[in-house]
Amino acid sequence: MREAPILVVGAGPAGASAAATIAEAGLPVLLIEQRDQLGGAIHRQPAAGNEEHVWRPARHRRNWAALTARLQASAERIEIRTETIFLGVDSEGRFLFDDRHEACVFARRPRAAIIAVGAIETIRPFPGWELPGVMTAGGAQVLLKETGRPPEGPILLAGGGPLLPALAAQLAKAGNPPVAVLERGRPWNAPAALARLALSWAPMSEAAAYAAALAASRVPYRCGAVVTQAEPDGDGLKVSIRVGETQEPLLVRHLLIHDGIAPNRTGIPLPDPDGAVPILLAGDGREALGADAAILDGRRAAMQVLARLGHAERGAPSDERGLQRARDFQATLARALQAEPIVPPPETLICRCEGRSHADLAALAPDASAREIRLMGRFGLGACQGRFCGPMIAALRGQPLPTASPPRWPLRPVSVAALARLTIDETE
Amino acid sequence: MKPTRFGPSLYGTNRFGMASSSPLHVAVIGTGIVGASAAHFLAAAGARVTLLDASGPAAGATGASDGAVSVASKRPGPMMDLARHARAFYVRCEQDGLFRGLFHRRSTFLVARTAIEADLVAQHGADLAAAGERVVEVDRAALLDRIPGLGASVCAALEIPDDGHALGYEITERLLATSRASIRRNAPVSEIVMRAGRACGVAVRNEFLPADAVLVAAGIGSAPLLGLGEILIPRKGQMAVTDRASVAGPAIDGHLMAASYLAAKRGIVRDNSHIGLVIDPLMTGQFLIGGSREDHRSDHSTDAATIAAILREALDLYPPLAARRVLRSFAGVRTASRDGLPIVGLHPHYAGVVIATGFEGDGICLGPFMGANAARLLLGERPEADLSALSPQRFARVEAHA
Repeated sequence: MREAPILVVGAGPAGASAAATIAEAGLPVLLIEQRDQLGGAIHRQPAAGNEEHVWRPARHRRNWAALTARLQASAERIEIRTETIFLGVDSEGRFLFDDRHEACVFARRPRAAIIAVGAIETIRPFPGWELPGVMTAGGAQVLLKETGRPPEGPILLAGGGPLLPALAAQLAKAGNPPVAVLERGRPWNAPAALARLALSWAPMSEAAAYAAALAASRVPYRCGAVVTQAEPDGDGLKVSIRVGETQEPLLVRHLLIHDGIAPNRTGIPLPDPDGAVPILLAGDGREALGADAAILDGRRAAMQVLARLGHAERGAPSDERGLQRARDFQATLARALQAEPIVPPPETLICRCEGRSHADLAALAPDASAREIRLMGRFGLGACQGRFCGPMIAALRGQPLPTASPPRWPLRPVSVAALARLTIDETE
Repeated sequence: MKPTRFGPSLYGTNRFGMASSSPLHVAVIGTGIVGASAAHFLAAAGARVTLLDASGPAAGATGASDGAVSVASKRPGPMMDLARHARAFYVRCEQDGLFRGLFHRRSTFLVARTAIEADLVAQHGADLAAAGERVVEVDRAALLDRIPGLGASVCAALEIPDDGHALGYEITERLLATSRASIRRNAPVSEIVMRAGRACGVAVRNEFLPADAVLVAAGIGSAPLLGLGEILIPRKGQMAVTDRASVAGPAIDGHLMAASYLAAKRGIVRDNSHIGLVIDPLMTGQFLIGGSREDHRSDHSTDAATIAAILREALDLYPPLAARRVLRSFAGVRTASRDGLPIVGLHPHYAGVVIATGFEGDGICLGPFMGANAARLLLGERPEADLSALSPQRFARVEAHA
């Protein structure tokens, strides 16, 4: 019987870092990636046939080059399965994967698992966010990285957080600067937080580069400005913007929205570092701390697995310090950009899979059970199983969307035919 | 509500021997389809009702089941007869507005894929006809007209045209929304409190809730409250739900029930984790595909091997499912009684307590009717059908010897 591998799900910075660390210690790794190339969202590579056109900070390019070199150096111990979707863990402890290449589902029982599936983007809903022409900034950024081409026509970026100026700078460098970046927070109202941010060298030098790119393209960065509505207008969108007490309309072709990221936990097994099959989370999927911290966190999780399996590796204190710095930075950034929640009007769509509105959500009893929210409210029942609408519902109800216990699989829709062809590796 | 609408048993002396001037207060344990129905009809008759559930409405089998309001699947005998009453009750409630928009008539197709299965289907058809049910023989060509794409292995089928469809949680929600019963979620009942041989209330955690009468309709949670021993068996069923095959209405013109399901229902197959296949076209255009029958399993987890086996069976019966995607798998826990028949009636030893549970996989079909009849029993009225086969009396001796 061959040695069961350590499973690593997700080949972004955390997964790649974890896989390399385990392989370097001499253990076999099964690295699962849903896309056709490694890199995750942050290091997304151009699609086949496209050239790299997207400007990225040099630090990110160097980090990814170093990780890929490490994966290559240990290639004989790392089995990489791309275009393979993690579907969750079933009641028998089998990890399930949808091999989109072979159109079949396969099951494995690993020795240990590190799940590094990254973050999901969150938005704050307003009427019209679901219209064609509106998409998340993160989704648009990934498209830009894959195609090398920005969307055509006037673009507006709105919401909150550091992704907005970063994407604006990339769009500008790619030839289509946005008409404006609207940040709902008012950082000038939080001078103490701003002063602390100024002490963080790496992110601040990155921010300075973005600011320079925005200034060169004369992209206005407006704080305290929020989108309250989007309506179809010919081929484009009429966007209503509120700044203080004033409302103004803006006609654009694309509205890219973003209000931060949160760990992607929908359907993900709970961490169980001491279980018979240790399960650890790593990277933004554990705690949304960004790309640099994800590399440290992947190594930290790998060290923990190695120690657990009797390989005398221990976590490096410097990794823990690095993670703490990232945590402090994110907390300070959140303080600087914090903005009061806006209660969206009743007709605002919340669940786009099943077409459920804020009024439908408000009609649920305050102490409604998980079953009532799902079945009677029809929230979290569609293709995303609550992955996207969950954070919105949590924010509006003031309590988290109850999750199924145990987590349900499949956590992504899977072809009936592929699942019927399930293969179970009985050498496990 | 005018006092003239109150039945005689609600004021004056009710069947529980209590002279009262205030309305009867009933504690209903369990807010599944049975408890919700009982609460609805009790409240409509003027009783004060408190619904208690360890979780919330439709938290058990009611919210994790297919929506078959089907006589076609019932065992010959009292179950087949009672299912006909129960389905007629749905029709009545649809007509008088209570279930409007929630209950839909649709055919059940009993399909056979082998000669042995064809014999079984024919026998079952004869039993249905003998019970007064309309049964139509459908040859393969006619069936393909009705359900294009049906698998090559299907060799015989019967259509039961008077069956119907309703989702348990939607019926439950409607029953609760149209009654003035108060609902207490996260209220697990630990004990029925007795005084002088008669129920005087229930204990919820450390709280005593007084009540004149108690209905136990708590599915698998009923047994610990009843003091009748191990009379209930959990039987887990795993299912899968697909994405939409059509945007408006059911994707196929009827409920497909494989002969394997009948075999399980008629007690021909007794092995554990057997699959009784049904393909239920939902009003949303999605398919619900089930299900396994796993005795003594009360967890809600699903395993890939069982779901894949169900899907292979489903693809053999209806190959167009290959184009669908599974959105989720889930498991419901059916509550079966030890002898396979539901338990409905007065508690054999506790005065003031009525039981309505043990509906196994038939709760959606039977639930509203049985809830309404449990309400009648609590009000001291005669049930609308002969429920003697379901009487809890048959479990009385168990306790005497325990």
